[in-house]
Amino acid sequence: MSLRLAARIARAELKGGLQGFRVFLACLAFGIAAIAAVGIVREGIARGLGEQGTVLLGGDAEMSFTYRLASDDERRFMADHAVKVSEIVDFRSMAVTGTGDTAERALTQVKAVDDAYPLTGTVTLDPAMPLAEAFAPDAAGRPGGVMDGVLADRLGLRTGDAFRLGEKSFYLAAILTREPDSATGGFGLGPRSIVRNADLEGSGLLAPGSLFDSHYRLSLPAGTDLEALESAARAAFTDTGLRWRDSRRAAPGVERFVERIGAFLVLVGLAGLAVGGIGISAAVRAYLERKTAVIATLKSLGAGRWLVFQVYLLQIGALTLLGIALGLVLGTALVLGAAPLLVSRLPFPIALAPYPGPMAEAALYGVLTALVFTLWPLSRAARIRAAALYRQASGSVRGWPGAGAAIAVAVLATALVGAAAALSGMTLLTLWSAAGIVTALTVLAATAWALRRLARRLAPRARGVPLRLALGAIGGPREEAGAVILSLGLGLTVLAAMGQIDANLRAAIARDLPERAPSYFFVDIQDDQLPAFLNRLAAEPAVDNVETAPMLRGVITRINGQEARTVAGEHWVLRGDRGVTYADRPPASTTITAGTWWPEAYSGPPQLSFAREEAEELGLKLGDRLTVNILGRDIEAEITSFREVDFSTAGIGFVMLMNPAAVAGAPHSHIATVHTAPEAEARLLRDVAGAFPNITAIRVRDAIARVTEALNAIAAATAGAALVTLATGFVVLIGAAAAGEPARVYEAAVLKTLGATRARILASFALRSALLGASAGLVAVVAGGAAGWAVMHFVMDAPYSFEPASALLIVAGGVVAVLLAGLVFALRPLGARARRGFCAPRTDLPTRPRHAQSRGAWRRTG
Amino acid sequence: MTDPVLSLEAARLTLAGNAGPVEILRGITMSVGRGETVGLIGPSGSGKSSLLMLMGGLEQATGGRVMALGEDLGAMNEDRLARFRRDNMGIVFQSFHLIPTMSALDNVALPLELAGVADARARATAERGRGSGSPHRPLPRTALGGEQQRVALARAAAPRPAILLADEPTGNLDAANGAQIMDLLFGLRDRYGSTLVLVTHAPELTRRCDRVIRLADGRLADDPVQTEAAQ
Repeated sequence: MSLRLAARIARAELKGGLQGFRVFLACLAFGIAAIAAVGIVREGIARGLGEQGTVLLGGDAEMSFTYRLASDDERRFMADHAVKVSEIVDFRSMAVTGTGDTAERALTQVKAVDDAYPLTGTVTLDPAMPLAEAFAPDAAGRPGGVMDGVLADRLGLRTGDAFRLGEKSFYLAAILTREPDSATGGFGLGPRSIVRNADLEGSGLLAPGSLFDSHYRLSLPAGTDLEALESAARAAFTDTGLRWRDSRRAAPGVERFVERIGAFLVLVGLAGLAVGGIGISAAVRAYLERKTAVIATLKSLGAGRWLVFQVYLLQIGALTLLGIALGLVLGTALVLGAAPLLVSRLPFPIALAPYPGPMAEAALYGVLTALVFTLWPLSRAARIRAAALYRQASGSVRGWPGAGAAIAVAVLATALVGAAAALSGMTLLTLWSAAGIVTALTVLAATAWALRRLARRLAPRARGVPLRLALGAIGGPREEAGAVILSLGLGLTVLAAMGQIDANLRAAIARDLPERAPSYFFVDIQDDQLPAFLNRLAAEPAVDNVETAPMLRGVITRINGQEARTVAGEHWVLRGDRGVTYADRPPASTTITAGTWWPEAYSGPPQLSFAREEAEELGLKLGDRLTVNILGRDIEAEITSFREVDFSTAGIGFVMLMNPAAVAGAPHSHIATVHTAPEAEARLLRDVAGAFPNITAIRVRDAIARVTEALNAIAAATAGAALVTLATGFVVLIGAAAAGEPARVYEAAVLKTLGATRARILASFALRSALLGASAGLVAVVAGGAAGWAVMHFVMDAPYSFEPASALLIVAGGVVAVLLAGLVFALRPLGARARRGFCAPRTDLPTRPRHAQSRGAWRRTG
Repeated sequence: MTDPVLSLEAARLTLAGNAGPVEILRGITMSVGRGETVGLIGPSGSGKSSLLMLMGGLEQATGGRVMALGEDLGAMNEDRLARFRRDNMGIVFQSFHLIPTMSALDNVALPLELAGVADARARATAERGRGSGSPHRPLPRTALGGEQQRVALARAAAPRPAILLADEPTGNLDAANGAQIMDLLFGLRDRYGSTLVLVTHAPELTRRCDRVIRLADGRLADDPVQTEAAQ
């Protein structure tokens, strides 16, 4: 009965219109739209990867090896199980055009394929032609090759022009526009080229010890049990360095990346919802304040607290559902509208549709957020007494909630954070983010309180009428200061934190690193080339430092005889293969932190020196035995020392360093880092590459540019999400400004009556907005700086320095945003005639029901 | 006097004001018998409406005791007071206090529905009909003052309350409408045998009361002339 009656009253109340709920709906809808959009894109990518796993992988399954081709046994295994096998060799090299001083060189990631490639999907070329046709030799007998348009442009190549890989000449048959299996390739430093494997004969590339990966794509009979086949392969080739992937998870790297960035963006979206929550709370409070007389009347007629609570909970519930529906429609429309762009820009397939999963997740966040931010005023409203018909003191929606409501809010907030932690899969980050949001809100609320007190104190002493009026208004009884600082402050805090983190990361990469970083990495230097290579560098006066090291690659398979990942988890050192080097003596500037180095010319059981920090993370100690698979052969070595390895210098840094006798017999090449003056870089490259065509040069600045590019994409996505937070904050701001308009009309009327010009009144309004905006901006910069420091210090393990440019922008942005919102709502007060201003309801007076005000019901009659 | 329906013993009401506590009622002792009609008069600020609020349980006394139908209102919490009003009282306000988003009929049916009356709307239609002769009128916020007060009266009378409290029910109305409303109010009292307590400034109303009580500065004024005048 109670619920039915509550529903009837609620329905009647809602018929009164949605006035005052636009901000509520906008805040909720914006937050939901952002979260739903991110969720749909994430799901779309996951489904795209899942549905097109075979195409992405270039086969039903893939067996990969580092540094070597498959052995006869492995080939036999593949032939036994697959209908068709395709062999691909992937390596870095230099693509060269011209000769002598006019030669142009560029780093490229070469894919050397066989005739079976691609087993699935199609390579798209411009001009359109089959790949086999592109590989066909030209009239001069040169084999064809295809390359990314970026690489062709860099080398100034057009189709038909010649280029060299190593010592072999090719002609550019076509531009590569789409590579079906590109998403599985990982992060490449150079643009892609594809040639036929057989055509590399005589190139001098892929010599023993060269750095390359071999991939064998398998086309399997329909109905093959992939899990069983994987188990069989792993059982047959234990500890050979075999890596297995299949269409069940074709691109785990992309999946992982998308999952993480998606979860991160959802967290930013939740920050947006928190900002929206402030608007929601303010809108609900304003609405309930207008309903004080109705609530008191209901009470006078015999309605209890529970009924009143139900009446308004049902109304807010209905509006919440509307807001969520609007948000879901908006979010879905945004994604589907941007679908053509996303599909064409992303290097992996994406299947976009209004997926119920992410939409339900966004709706859940919306419901919980709305409840967290409305239960408080709702519980207060239910406590309004019938006597409120006579006096304000008999209840208000402002103030502390009852114990029950406070507990309910705490439980719902915990549920919200718990849901975010569970659904994002990033528990720690979610908890930190939630703690950050709560801390930021607390700091902002305290700031608003302090600002109001300060303004009250300073107002009488302020010079000039506009400033005194502005300070008086900030310190006055209206809640504009609180709403502005909380909503805009939180939005700006998120943006400030992003700005600080982004700037510090860029500074670390672009400014700090190159000061110590070498100009070039040279890889694939063969043993017999090393003396000549070093002689040539020694003859170049601009070269001031050269370091070389033998380079092998190995996978840590066991720790003390047990499977490595079981012992030490998913640490990056255990993921895939890592560089391994050897040395008789500790390399220059090596710091041994524990243990002892092996004696010179040591030839006993293999010994290993491990990077200290990574060893600590893996839980390794001196005396532990690591099994490292190098070129399919297991080498078990004892850890006899730990040493400092600084990866941030971009110099040669190996996690694992062995005694020479342990690995020197394995075919390997050398790498070198070369420091030279920037103006000598081009000459050096020309000299070395001309003399040693098989050696690949990686320009560190280019590599950094590639990393920065990736960072740019992440920063853009994050900034987009942060902007949604800011947009929500702006909506709250508009709401606060709109709510304050009647009071401004009244104030302007009084001032005009007293002889104030419009310019003076405008100056007062502008000053008020500027002061509020600057305060919100300043708090945001401090809070964002603290968050930035925490992320750099605890997550990135990098030094933090305050970045003033973005901070200044944030403060200026805060001022401009509040000025804009404030001045838009200053137009009516400025334009209204003084007489009319007195008719406007004064919202700075104790709030009373509007109809009661006009009829004078609150006049004390007794 | 018949057995008292309302009785106050040294009832006090002190409220917090900006300049410190304000004594609104300073120890009122009085009672109202069953079926009696009592007028409360006095200058503005004398405490008439506050006294009516104490009687209706809208406000709780900060000292002394307020009894209604033998129950101590001071011992009840907000929800119990609400239920007590629902079952025993009808209150008419100067400013009507209708629910502006509800139709006239819904307003009248509301206390019946709160009481869980099964045929609330049918009874409300009948009550509304008695009040104005037209049960289906536009929403009250579009109605004139007299019309709104008629709806408010019908709402107060719909549960057939033992006690009717009216706070200047004609205060916002013109003379003609005011007279109609008073006729309706006294008609309802007669029909249901309710006890009626009325705050008013209008002498013509006090003449229709069984007894008139004058308040001054939060106390009962010792002025027997008013009581006699009423008789």
